[in-house]
This record gives sequence, structure tokens and C-alpha cells, in this order.
Amino acid sequence: MTHGKSRNPVICCVRTPHPSLLAAWRKTPAWRGRPLVLGGLAHERGSVLTVSPEARAQGVNEGMSLNQAQQFAPAAIFQPIDEEATARVRQSFLATLHRFTPDLADAPDPGCAFLRLDRLTLRWPDRAKLLAAITRTIDAAIGTAPALGVASSMFVSELAAKQATPGAPVVVEPDQARAYLARFPIETLPLDDDLREYLELLGVRTIGRLQTISRPAFRRQFGTRALDIYDLGMGTDRRRLQPLRPPVRIEASQPLEPPVDNTQALQFIARALAEQVSASLLSQGLGTRAVRIVLHQESAPVLAVAVRYAYPVTTAAELFDGIRPRLLRASISASLERITLRAGRLEPAYVRQPGLLIRRDGFRESIADAVARLQEEYGALVVQRAEVRPDAAPLPDHRILWKPA
Amino acid sequence: MPDRLQQAITVLQTRFGSAAPRPAAPPCAVRPSGIAEIDALTGIGGWPVGRLSLLAGPRGCGKRTLAQRSLAAASREGPVAYVDFPSRLDPEFLSRVDARLDHLLVVRPKSLREGMASIRVLARAGVDLIGLDLPRARSVGLDAELPHLLHRIAEADCTLLLIHDAEADDAIRYYASLILSFERSAWVFSRDGDLQGLQVDAAVVKNRLAPPGHRQRWIVAYPLR
Repeated sequence: MTHGKSRNPVICCVRTPHPSLLAAWRKTPAWRGRPLVLGGLAHERGSVLTVSPEARAQGVNEGMSLNQAQQFAPAAIFQPIDEEATARVRQSFLATLHRFTPDLADAPDPGCAFLRLDRLTLRWPDRAKLLAAITRTIDAAIGTAPALGVASSMFVSELAAKQATPGAPVVVEPDQARAYLARFPIETLPLDDDLREYLELLGVRTIGRLQTISRPAFRRQFGTRALDIYDLGMGTDRRRLQPLRPPVRIEASQPLEPPVDNTQALQFIARALAEQVSASLLSQGLGTRAVRIVLHQESAPVLAVAVRYAYPVTTAAELFDGIRPRLLRASISASLERITLRAGRLEPAYVRQPGLLIRRDGFRESIADAVARLQEEYGALVVQRAEVRPDAAPLPDHRILWKPA
Repeated sequence: MPDRLQQAITVLQTRFGSAAPRPAAPPCAVRPSGIAEIDALTGIGGWPVGRLSLLAGPRGCGKRTLAQRSLAAASREGPVAYVDFPSRLDPEFLSRVDARLDHLLVVRPKSLREGMASIRVLARAGVDLIGLDLPRARSVGLDAELPHLLHRIAEADCTLLLIHDAEADDAIRYYASLILSFERSAWVFSRDGDLQGLQVDAAVVKNRLAPPGHRQRWIVAYPLR
């Protein structure tokens, strides 16, 4: 996300409790409203990762040791972090926001994300309705309504989101950002220890007091590197966050009831799944260079077969051209209960050039990929490399080592 | 070519299109063979890029040695491949002539179809030179495969060297841009009677890029290096 120079960006900070906390509440709804400390069990050595508002009210904070936390809140529930569930909640949170706009940036705080709203005015002319829709959608996705802060910079919007409550967003207009920041203590800014100490010595305890110092005077006193802090205090945030690209997963799966042991039927189903994968690829303008076929066998291990393509393919016919021979050659030992096609190595499909204007079609496969594809097709020994061992006995079989490329 | 002649040709081409006079041998990129005599013999300075060159002749006439020398020269520049139907590639010889074996891919296909598919895939992936060592027996289906193969190597700017022991089929002779015929003319002995090498006569039977008919004598010295 970048802050446009020609127009004022409108940035919304969406803030929820820590995803670990949300995951714990999802797993055990009875823990909502009770003091909950996440990071480990009470007797374990470790530190607190996140706490519920009830535990925070009793004096427990992130970073303190679990023993110390237990002394502050002896009746609190202590639980370790469920990493997988946390990742799922976080993923769901970001994916939900990504549906509103691709101008989405990740924040260092895992419960936070930034959205750029000024490019959504055509679709959402009424900003209040947009904020209500974001709140409603996030609530439906992760089970908690977020707090929203809207401002012209990420720093101000994050502060606004901290002040906001679910359902009551705080909106700071661009011309009010400076006045809004003025009342916050100076520690709100990301100061290092030296700068904080100097500012305290100068009697600068609020951002409003900082704003009374001129920029040249501040630079003379603290150097050019401290100007970023000064600008933040004035409401100008020059940080650039990488736009988030949520991972795309394209797959189609079909349970087979009753289990299938007929090759013709299997091909028919695979063709239908290829159509589904192709439709998903087309809808996102993507092509795939590799498809993984996963065959769940009845009372036999799961069989996985990889198919590689020389260039990103999108159409069902091209996909099935690669899938069919692999299916026919797969060593299936029992009836199949489920078949899954998963598209991997996704690339934009729009650069395909039919070869009318240039000699090639615009794609080039690496030699390693080409060799791997040939070996998948015809066996590992079809392409080999030779190595000469000068120290070995003077017999061809000894001196020359052939190995799959 | 003089400017006035070039000007006249341009005028004629503008007026009469493809019927106008054109150079008999269009410019073609070349890849050095690694042997100066052979580069001179081809008339263009090496193997033509994006085309098929045929090395023909009976067994023991030095054509495979020449192909491997070319492979070694090309391997020093980039990736190369050798499709070895009769399993006669000698990596030890290649290492003696300073080939980069890490740049060499050896394809050992079980059928002609596998071999042709491998050439198409590797040419497309960017292999610079591919040697195709065909089996002595007539390769059924090669006639139908060659046009596709040539299209692909022309697209990929790959050089294809075809080595054939027997009399080449008509299709191969038709599609080849350059045909070199090799013949063992004599053995070379030292004064004390030791075999020192092999004298090979090479002739350009067909050349689409330069005038054909040239002959060159070349000695393959023993031990091979």
C-alpha cells in the first residue's frame, strides 16, 4: 500500500483481538468473558503472548512471565497457543478483507490490517455503509466484530482503531489529523530510548507539544533520522507496506460413492474435475504448470501423481491431455474413494502468445523442468548424465558412471 | 555485393515480389564444429543453427568422432544433448576433448517416439546442440516425425546433427540442409608400422546454404583426442 501524492488516501485500520485469542474462543466458547492467558500453562516457563480483556483488567500484560501472570490473575485460564488454528483465523481475516479490495496491507500486529478505501468510492459511495459491511463480514467470518479507525495515514488510522469500539468506528478527517494526534502522549510515537529521554528532558510529553517545534529546529536538534518521528507526530506517515497477496489454492475434488474401479469411469470423472479446475483458473486469469492428482484408494495408501506442463495451461482440454496418460499409467491397486486435482505453480495466463507475431509462444521451460517432465513421462533413465571416474579400473562399466539427470 | 546491384535487386523485389532474384544462400547462424577442416568444408563456417545436418557414412569412418567433437565444442558454450539409440556415446572421449559433462544430457530412449519427444522438449527448453544417433535399422515413423521436429528446432534455434550408419532414407535426405558423407580412405601407419590414425574423406553431398560438392581430407589421429 502506498500513500498517493496526488490525492489523499483514505486508510482504514481493521483491528481485532489477537488471532490466538479468537481461535481459543472458537474452540471453547465458554472462555469468552473469562480471564484467559495464552502462551502456556501456568506452571510452565514461558511468557504471555496475549490475554483477554478480563485478564488485562487484572494486570496481566503481553510479555510478562506466566508465573507472574498467575500471581496477578490466579483464577485465569492458562492455555498454550494453537498455532494451526491461529493461522486459520488470521488467513480467514485477511481473505475476508481481500474480498473488499486488493489494496490490503498486512500489519505487524497480527490482529490488524490496513485497507485503502478511497479507491472504493464508485462501489461504495457511502463510507458509513462500507464500514458497516466490513464490520458485519468480519464478524461473520471470525466471530468477532472489529474496531475500525479511518484516517489519511496508517499511523493515525491505527491510533483511531485503538480508540474505536466494535460498531463505532473513529474517523479522523485529513485536516483534523494534527489536532487529533495532539492529545496523545509522546510515547505513542515509536521512539527509541535516547530520543524519549531527550524529549522528556526538554519537557515534550505530548505530541501536541512536539507539534509546536518547527521542523528545521527539530532536525538541528535530533538529526535527519529523527524527522520520520516528527512527521508521524504531524500526521504524515511515509511507511510503505507490501500489499498482501493471499495464496491462491485451486483444486477440485470428487468423492466416489460407490468406489470406482473402472478406468473409463475414472477418466470421465477426471475430465469433469479438469473442467472445474479450468473454470477456476479462467475466472482468475491464471494458468498452471503442474497438477497433482491425489487418488484415495479403498484400504490402500493414498496415491499422488504429478503432471507437469511445458507452459501455463488453462483450458480443460490441455489439462486433461496431461492428466489422462498419468491416470492410465498410475499403479492403482484398489477401488478409488476420492479423486482430487490440485493446480500448482500458478502463473498469469494472459501472456500466452500464439506465435503469429513472434517465433516462440512467449514461454520458455527451464531445462531442469523439461528433464523432469521427460522423466515423469518415460521413466528416470530416459535422460542421464555421465560422470567419468579417472581413478577407477580401465573398464567402461567402472570408469563411467551413468545416473539419471 | 555492390551497392548498385543491391539497389537493382531491391527494385526488382519491390516490383515482382518473391519472383525477383534473391541470394542463393540466405544468411544463417552457425555453430562451430570444433574442427577447422569441417568448418571450412561446410562453406558457412560450421553447423547451421535451426536446421538438420546429416553425417552419413559406413561404420568406422569417423562421423561419430566428429559429432562428439562438435558436441564437446558446443558443451563449452551451453547445454547440449545426445540422443543415443545405439548406446555408442563415449563420455571418456568427450572428457579427453575437454567437453563439459555437466552440460551434457544423454537421452536413452526406448522407442523412436520417445526420442523425438525428448528432442522437441529439450530443444524448446534451450539446448543448443542435439546429436541424434539413429539405430542402423530403418526407423519406422521417422518420415512423419521429421517435419514437426524441424519446425521445433527452427523455432528454438537449436542445431540438430543426425548420425546415420546406413544409407539415409529419402525423407532425411530431403529435410537435411547439409549432408556430409564420410568415407575411410586409408589407414595411417608410422614408419615402424604402428597404426597412427585414420584418413577420412569428407564430401558435401547437399548444401542449402553454400555451394555443395566440396571435398576435404581429414586425419583422425590415434589415440583419439
